[in-house]
Amino acid sequence: MIWRSTRHRLLKRLQLRESWIIFFIMGNVMINFPFLKIFNQPISILGFPLLFLYFTVGWAASIGVIYLFTQATESDQQTVEEQPPQ
Amino acid sequence: MTLDLLQVAAIAVGYTGLLFLVAWFAGRRRDAGKSIVNNPLVYALSIAIYCSSWTFYGSVGKAATSGIDFLMIYLGPTLTAFSWHFILQRMIRISKESNVSSIADFISLRYGKSQPLGTLVTLIATLGIMPYIALQIKAVSTSFALVSGVTSRTIALPGAAEPVALPTGLVLAIILSVFGVIFGARRLSSIDRHEGLIAAVAFESLVKLISLLGVGIFITWGLFNGFSDIFEQFQARFPEQFIRLMTLDTQPGNGSIPSVTMLLMSMGAIMLLPRQFHVMVIENADIGHVKTAMWLFPAYLFLINLFIMPIALGGVLLTGSSVGADFFVISLPLMANNNSIALLAFLGGLSAAAGMVMVESVAISTMLLNHLFMPIIVRITPKQWFPLLLINLKRFGIFLVVFMGYLYYRLVGDSFMLVNMGLISFSAAMQFLPALLGGIYWKRGNKSGAISGMSLGFILWAYTLLIPSLFATPELHSFLQNGPFAITLLKPTALFGLIGMDMWSHSLFWSMLFNTGAYLICSLLLPQSEREKEQVHRFIGSFEQEARAYRAAAKRLSKPVTIPQFTALLGKFIGEAEAKRALENYQKERRLAPDNAGDEFELPGLKRFVERTLAGSVGAAAAGAIVDSYLSDMGSRMESVYDIFSTVRTSLDQSREALFVRLKASEIMNRTLDLQTICDDLLQLLLKEFKLDAGLIQLRKNSDFPLEVISYQGTNRRPITPEHWYRESEPYFKKAMIDQRAHLVNDIKLADGVVEIAKTRAEGFVSFAHVPIFREGEESLGVLSVYSKNIVGLFTEEFISLLTSLTGQLAQAARLMGEMEAREAARRKMQQAQLDKARLMRDMEIAQQIQLSLLPENPPEIFGIELAGRCIAATHVGGDYYDFFKRDEQTIDLLIADVSGHSVGAALIMAEVRTLLRAQANQATSPSLILSSLNNQLYEDLSRAELFITMFYARYNAATGRLSYANAGHNRPLIHRPGETSCRELDAEGLILGIKQNVVFEEQVIALQAGDVIFFHTDGIPEAMTAQGELYGTERMCRHLAEIGHEPAGRIADSFYTQVQQFSGTEALQDDVSMVVLKILT
Repeated sequence: MIWRSTRHRLLKRLQLRESWIIFFIMGNVMINFPFLKIFNQPISILGFPLLFLYFTVGWAASIGVIYLFTQATESDQQTVEEQPPQ
Repeated sequence: MTLDLLQVAAIAVGYTGLLFLVAWFAGRRRDAGKSIVNNPLVYALSIAIYCSSWTFYGSVGKAATSGIDFLMIYLGPTLTAFSWHFILQRMIRISKESNVSSIADFISLRYGKSQPLGTLVTLIATLGIMPYIALQIKAVSTSFALVSGVTSRTIALPGAAEPVALPTGLVLAIILSVFGVIFGARRLSSIDRHEGLIAAVAFESLVKLISLLGVGIFITWGLFNGFSDIFEQFQARFPEQFIRLMTLDTQPGNGSIPSVTMLLMSMGAIMLLPRQFHVMVIENADIGHVKTAMWLFPAYLFLINLFIMPIALGGVLLTGSSVGADFFVISLPLMANNNSIALLAFLGGLSAAAGMVMVESVAISTMLLNHLFMPIIVRITPKQWFPLLLINLKRFGIFLVVFMGYLYYRLVGDSFMLVNMGLISFSAAMQFLPALLGGIYWKRGNKSGAISGMSLGFILWAYTLLIPSLFATPELHSFLQNGPFAITLLKPTALFGLIGMDMWSHSLFWSMLFNTGAYLICSLLLPQSEREKEQVHRFIGSFEQEARAYRAAAKRLSKPVTIPQFTALLGKFIGEAEAKRALENYQKERRLAPDNAGDEFELPGLKRFVERTLAGSVGAAAAGAIVDSYLSDMGSRMESVYDIFSTVRTSLDQSREALFVRLKASEIMNRTLDLQTICDDLLQLLLKEFKLDAGLIQLRKNSDFPLEVISYQGTNRRPITPEHWYRESEPYFKKAMIDQRAHLVNDIKLADGVVEIAKTRAEGFVSFAHVPIFREGEESLGVLSVYSKNIVGLFTEEFISLLTSLTGQLAQAARLMGEMEAREAARRKMQQAQLDKARLMRDMEIAQQIQLSLLPENPPEIFGIELAGRCIAATHVGGDYYDFFKRDEQTIDLLIADVSGHSVGAALIMAEVRTLLRAQANQATSPSLILSSLNNQLYEDLSRAELFITMFYARYNAATGRLSYANAGHNRPLIHRPGETSCRELDAEGLILGIKQNVVFEEQVIALQAGDVIFFHTDGIPEAMTAQGELYGTERMCRHLAEIGHEPAGRIADSFYTQVQQFSGTEALQDDVSMVVLKILT
């Protein structure tokens, strides 16, 4: 029950058009320098190189985010189309 | 080890057969109406055409040589997917609306259907894609060589006397071209979606994913012990290389491509590569699929790349070096002697390459046809063999694209790694970015900007990337080394002295700088053409409004074109059957009768439809040119029909003139309420603004009245007589009023002849319109008629709709006027009524005054008695009456009477009674005689007025102390005698006055004592009522009389009045209250 309401609220927040842009920008920041520098080190964690791990996990996570977005827009069809720029 | 050549060939052929089966099945399902392609999963898989041999083979090579940065090519598209929600959906919507056929079409459409721009985009796409196609040919032919062991580029055909030298690359190019033709150019169609092609592509995407996952699993868990095992082994054996591969290179200038460059290019490429645009935008079956694809496509990329790193590292571990890493996917299974996995890998690679080449070549050949061949072809008059020519040109385009790729492969093939070749193409595709993105988001972006930006970018790309890439060993060439004419500043790989950058970043930087810069500067400095503005509106404005606006196309064809003529034209390009089907569908959709092409408002729509349909096959720019040239051959053209709406635009905005007229009209209507002025001013406005020559407004009060000319304006006015020319249009008026639609004749020469309009013709009018004046849902009030002598075809749909809206307002004004008049009349009537009532009230007040003055002011004074009389009328005038007549010093007559009702009549009767009584005051008759004579005198008046009188008449003689009395049905007076608790009532037999004539009244006598109080009253006192309906009653009167009997007579009377008022609980009396108190003193 709690999960459902949380999910519902989360989806509601994601409907904002701004959040698309914010995540788009965030994604860009996260796979560019200098942010990338944090993970750009020849270290292995559990046998996986750090950068490989970062990309793989980060990528999977961002796909999850997009998935949530599409769910959010589906839950409310009215906010699907952006307003034309004035 | 290798597989047998024949075996490999057979499997490849078998696989191709399977692809055909898939495509055929998809086509059949579509015809059955159950499309399998109309599915978000298929859509996402078709976008996965992004993963070509580059992904399949090249990524491994890239991963093995430069490391983890190969991922950038896939992370970019994932990021871009975030933007699909707005950018891609918008592009799809625009494309669907205009039947866009390629990215060149899309861009040229945005910039005013510019033919040169389309050609430029086509040129860039065709040249830019060469390295990419070459990459595929190289990948497949190399992998084929690996699998089949045919290392030389010859094939030993079994059964032939000697081996035939047959370059595998060439064979492959031919096979791929044939693929493209079969899947993408079997016929020209009006719908430019290829369901079979997409089904095959989606199937191939599935195959390549399964194949790569299979190989990955085989290597990771078959040859090694999972991911960490590979990483650990590699780190142990090649620690230096491990560090290099597992981190990103941040040192600039060592020749490797920075991750940022790759990221940027891949972000653009996913949308801009012609094949990506084709599958994502053109082949999109449903805009809702984008949502699924947004996460499904990145997920596909994620999966297909999951094993790239393990395969790459595993390959280096197994072979000892990264040489030939591009083909680890095949060579590793072969090394491990696992033929089936190797074959699976080969099939996957084949799928990846074939799918890419197919779609790419189809997409580009469409562009070539529409933007390179078409501009030439449209100059030729359409011939019967046109469809054949067009389809073959498209097929030729496919071959051209593939063979240019092959040529590039032969020239450069072995000197580049797969990925680096692909990036050259990505860089070319990036040149579309500013014009495309600006086109859908920046209103000021214009054609000159797009053309200058794109051509500069293209030139720089070719100069800094394409040309250098053609020279396999750049060190040997002085041109590359020192620049042209030894000007080092112009050295292609270090333009303007920019050194220390890799070739790709360097080229991307310069080309994008010039491209974007020129686009912005030219767009800001130069104006947009009218045609462009139209498109800007379509691309950036809102779409729903646009759809509605088509109906009000503000142009017309100067010479009507029939549907069969359009069908013939269309048939010349897409085949007759297809053309017939398309137009029939259109007619069905618009609910037109098959032969209803005569309606001139339908023609622009029809023309647009033909253009759109043609655009599906030949591109928007060419379609427009074809239709226009066809029409001009016919002697017909799209003309801006009226000078009035001079800025004719196919948009929702009304022309300035229409707006101005609307504004003026509403001013006129608001300025006054006088219908005559409104009509006159409105007609004058219309005549002046639209250069009309005559105008009439006819109105009627309602359907019972005939039409009446309210206003008549124009240059040559004739007196309105039954012979006036306007009368000829009577049938039009009637028709317009009945069906509440405008009736118009746009060219009097073409008038149907049903209505005789000879006089109108003689007056020199060429066109006219009759617009009914009515309010929605009500019957028509009249007709507005306008006539023009100069302009044929004046009455366009837009103009008529303007007139209709004006007549609507006019009806409103007329109706309003009617209502105002009615309201005014009602108001006046009410005012009069109020006035009358006030006058009446005043009269009544006067009557009251008079009536009160008729009552005795003060009772006469007689020794030994005390008298008091009170009369309070419930309404202004009442019927109560009391009086005293002093006969001599001892004798007094007193009476109290009640005329029924409280009307003026009652008051008048009362006055009459008084006069009669006063007249006989001096005759010494008895009370009973007085009553009977009164009855006789009043009888006629009373019965005429239907009134009655009750009266009590008494005579008191102070000397004898006797009271003689007679009663005509009046309330019996009460006597209170001191010391007695109860009251006596005085009664005598007698009938009410006015019932019948000659009544005999009984006369009674009573002796009174000192202290007696006699209380005469009317029924107002005993019949006073509480809110609950309780009567005051005689009982209470009696008790009260006993209580206050000792008081003076006047006080007694007043106290009764107060008592009654308190009892009934209201100020207002229900009935008149009158009383006379007689108190015996001695």
